[in-house]
Amino acid sequence: MMIHEEICVGCGRCQPYCPTAAIRYNGFKSRIDQDVCYECSTCLRAAHCPVDAIAESPNVYDYPRALRRYFSDPSATHTTTGIQGRGTEESKTNDVTLRVGPCEVGVAIEIGRPTLGMSILDIQKITRAIARAGVHKIEPHNPIHSMIADEATGDLKPEMLGERVLSAIIEIKVKRDELRGILRTLKEVAKEVDSVFCIDACTIVEPGLKIPEEVLESIRAEGLTWRPNAKVNMGLGRAWE
Amino acid sequence: MTHSLHREGSLESLEKDYVLFIYPARGFNYKGSAPKIRHLVELLYQAGPVNMIPTSLRRNMYSGVTNEEILESITVEGTRVYSVFNDREKLKKALIRIKEANEGISIMVSGITDRVRELAAELGINPHMVNLSLGIHGRTDRLPPADIREFTTMCGHGVVSPHLVKDMIRRVKTGKVSEWDGSVLLAEPCTCGIYNPCRSAELLREKSPLYAVDRW
Repeated sequence: MMIHEEICVGCGRCQPYCPTAAIRYNGFKSRIDQDVCYECSTCLRAAHCPVDAIAESPNVYDYPRALRRYFSDPSATHTTTGIQGRGTEESKTNDVTLRVGPCEVGVAIEIGRPTLGMSILDIQKITRAIARAGVHKIEPHNPIHSMIADEATGDLKPEMLGERVLSAIIEIKVKRDELRGILRTLKEVAKEVDSVFCIDACTIVEPGLKIPEEVLESIRAEGLTWRPNAKVNMGLGRAWE
Repeated sequence: MTHSLHREGSLESLEKDYVLFIYPARGFNYKGSAPKIRHLVELLYQAGPVNMIPTSLRRNMYSGVTNEEILESITVEGTRVYSVFNDREKLKKALIRIKEANEGISIMVSGITDRVRELAAELGINPHMVNLSLGIHGRTDRLPPADIREFTTMCGHGVVSPHLVKDMIRRVKTGKVSEWDGSVLLAEPCTCGIYNPCRSAELLREKSPLYAVDRW
């Protein structure tokens, strides 16, 4: 994003809207730090500049900077998945797709969330750690998959490493008895990154929304806990195509 | 993805915060889904959500868009709908109607798991899957304070800025904006429409006395 300096009246209204504080005063005008900007377009969409000084940068869709837009603007449709958002339908449609099966756990690493974002160099630390742990299949419909140069090592395409995104999701699935190992890997790599990520674990439940004890035991065994609130697929979907 | 399983706050506050998604599956039930989703949205309206967005329009309930415009936008196959309820009983009404309609589109509910479990039992629904939040990891020292995150995590994509929350606390405290109007402003950047303005207004009322602010 950019601010036309000749139009800006320096009211500062846009500044608090930026999730990453990329908009600051430069003299009496607001200016967007292009290195810090995630191209999420929140300033353009929500700040309602009184003089319409905010605009898209001319290079926003140039590769690889375009990654910032696709991963950071929730309303942008990602070119590789054809859907809006950073991930896939994941657990939301699992009652129809059965992408995660009865003996499996879907693990999502929600990168940069909440709010901080993450450099792609740091994302590579996570993909490499996952690969070292023996998981070489990242969900193919997730846009992160298209960024991988080498599935065996978890290396990402080198030209992307200088970019940063507000959020991205690495989606993998493991057998239930492998959950503990991948959680341990994620705990270790968390010490290496300069940002944050959230971990999700999705699993098919037993009657009465009973969470399988094997899954809970793996979480406990790694010293982790789960929040009292969760996302529940109510099981009301069916396929007809 | 809307990150709704990571909403932070006290249990008392989360009791007034349920997110409901209507989500067709690409390649499985996209074709012919638009009229079914439109019907489900009509049913949702009757239950009284406090926010809602279809991906066909991306404008929330407080943007000046009418209910008719929202419904008329749902002509695109695969349109997904995100909504929020601030009351367990309203959510229950929505689920009763959705279950009876039996449209075959996936429905997700984010909220306190025990409450969702109770509701499912009361309505004879057998949930299929749970997605658990195992917390935030890494440089948590860089995060905004926990009380600010109670606001910002209501937007999963992180586009409700912590700076905007602090600014709104300042504006509420200095009488420039009401708690409700401030919450509607905070809801605007969230293009998934799952920011709960009712809960946000309560949080602004609760937090603003705790902050010292500059009148500027």
